[in-house]
Amino acid sequence: MIPMIELIDVHKSFGHLEVLRGVSLRVTKGEVVVVIGPSGSGKSTMLRCINGLEPIQRGKVVIEGEDLHGPGTDPNKIRQKIGMVFQQFNLFPHKNALQNIMLAPMKVQKKSTREAEAIARDLLDRVGLADKAHAYPDELSGGQQQRVAIARALAMKPDMMLFDEVTSALDPELVAEVLAVMQQLAEGGMTMVVVTHEMGFAREVGSRLVFMDEGTVIEEGDPREMIANPKEPRTQKFLSMVL
Amino acid sequence: MSDLINAFFNGEIFKDSLWLLVKTLPTVFEVLVLGLVFSYLWGLILALMRLSRFRVLRYLTGAYIDFFRGLPLLLLFIFIYYGLPLAGLTLNALTSGVLGLTLCYGAYSAEIFRAGIQAIPRGQTEAARSLGMTSGQAMRYVILPQAVKLVIPPLTNEFIAMIKDTSLMSVIAVPELLFRAKEKMGVVANPTPLTVAALIYVVFTIPLIRLAARLESKRRKRRPPTKPAAAEISPEAEQDLLNTDIAGQLP
Ligand SMILES: Nc1ncnc2c1ncn2[C@@H]1O[C@H](COP(=O)(O)OP(=O)(O)OP(=O)(O)O)[C@@H](O)[C@H]1O
Ligand SMILES: [Mg+2]
Repeated sequence: MIPMIELIDVHKSFGHLEVLRGVSLRVTKGEVVVVIGPSGSGKSTMLRCINGLEPIQRGKVVIEGEDLHGPGTDPNKIRQKIGMVFQQFNLFPHKNALQNIMLAPMKVQKKSTREAEAIARDLLDRVGLADKAHAYPDELSGGQQQRVAIARALAMKPDMMLFDEVTSALDPELVAEVLAVMQQLAEGGMTMVVVTHEMGFAREVGSRLVFMDEGTVIEEGDPREMIANPKEPRTQKFLSMVL
Repeated sequence: MSDLINAFFNGEIFKDSLWLLVKTLPTVFEVLVLGLVFSYLWGLILALMRLSRFRVLRYLTGAYIDFFRGLPLLLLFIFIYYGLPLAGLTLNALTSGVLGLTLCYGAYSAEIFRAGIQAIPRGQTEAARSLGMTSGQAMRYVILPQAVKLVIPPLTNEFIAMIKDTSLMSVIAVPELLFRAKEKMGVVANPTPLTVAALIYVVFTIPLIRLAARLESKRRKRRPPTKPAAAEISPEAEQDLLNTDIAGQLP
């Protein structure tokens, strides 16, 4: 079976700063890969390389068998298969919840207003915000905004989802509602790469745990086992700090 | 004292000139509407080129903008109306006026649009691109609608400056307010026509000045009630926008 996401020896620098130093990662269908690591280790950069928001200097990014940087590949087409959710939500402030979700299906996939609205209402219902369809982002709590952002990404019917510390900007009491939506998504079989500090989520929902430091993958394995018995000293040190 | 009043507010001449000058307003409006539409459109195009991915285009546009921001508009009007015919291109006074406004005010608006576009947080573009939008779609559906709201106050200020600058067209024989007022002043040997022209200018500019100030203070007060996320417009971007505004007012 071809992997959903395959990173092969990916190198990425910003000027002289080498942020990714040969990252390799395979994600197969239905897997929930949880990525942890200290600040600045390149987790966000790796996610952004997966959907081509950042160009890379060396290596390969292969999405469902297709080389993202290959000749004749349309990155916009590939991005439609990859949903992404950000730490700062990044909802479109000039559009209400419904319009935020409908925009890409209408403009990118050329769906009719009716079709897009049906999709959007169904998704809002799934994330528990059916009654907030006409609320603007600044009228929603952080947790609600993040759930709309998840719905917006799902509206493109992606084959996989990337989550970049999506609960880090939330007040503690709002974290659970977002994690619940993500768990439900994982149980539905969605392929997911999740950068997070929520070790509980990693343990309960993750099918694999990846520890990154200084731009490389240091260790990966079964989440429970790795949390209980990390092999690498750097993993041990990091886990002892976050647990 | 009464001499002075008689000089500047001569009742009979006042009435005459008022009618004479009001008759120029259709011309003034025509120049302004065309100047407004063309310079904003041209400014938006310039701003997009200024922010394009192609380095050469960016530099050329930058050079254009700097050049026309640095050029006195009066010189430009004279060049177009009196200079170009010597090179074989003759434009009528009105066309010359609109062309001058567009070339020059296009450069001012370009800077305003550029600052407005750049004030929109990067996360907005990233969210749009991650949904599969092309950079053009992201610009059109996500960035520009937000940027346009930001640039309305500075563009209003710029329009005020444009109204005042229509008076420069008097040197290229556009029959506008100042042109007719000066003419009349010559005939009656009394400055009252200028007073009338001045009043007509401020009748149009003062409400706009007020409006611009209101829009500006509304924008400052409006802050999202939720906690400020990175989606906020940064103070630097806001300052940048203000700077372009000042530049627009001092052509
Ligand atoms: N656009 C950029 N330009 C320059 N440097 C960047 C850019 N984006 C990230 N970096 C740098 O790359 C390094 C890795 O950043 P990255 O955001 O990937 O780390 P991270 O693991 O996600 O950290 P955090 O846990 O703080 O989110 C950091 O040193 C950061 O300063
Ligand atoms: Mg990060």
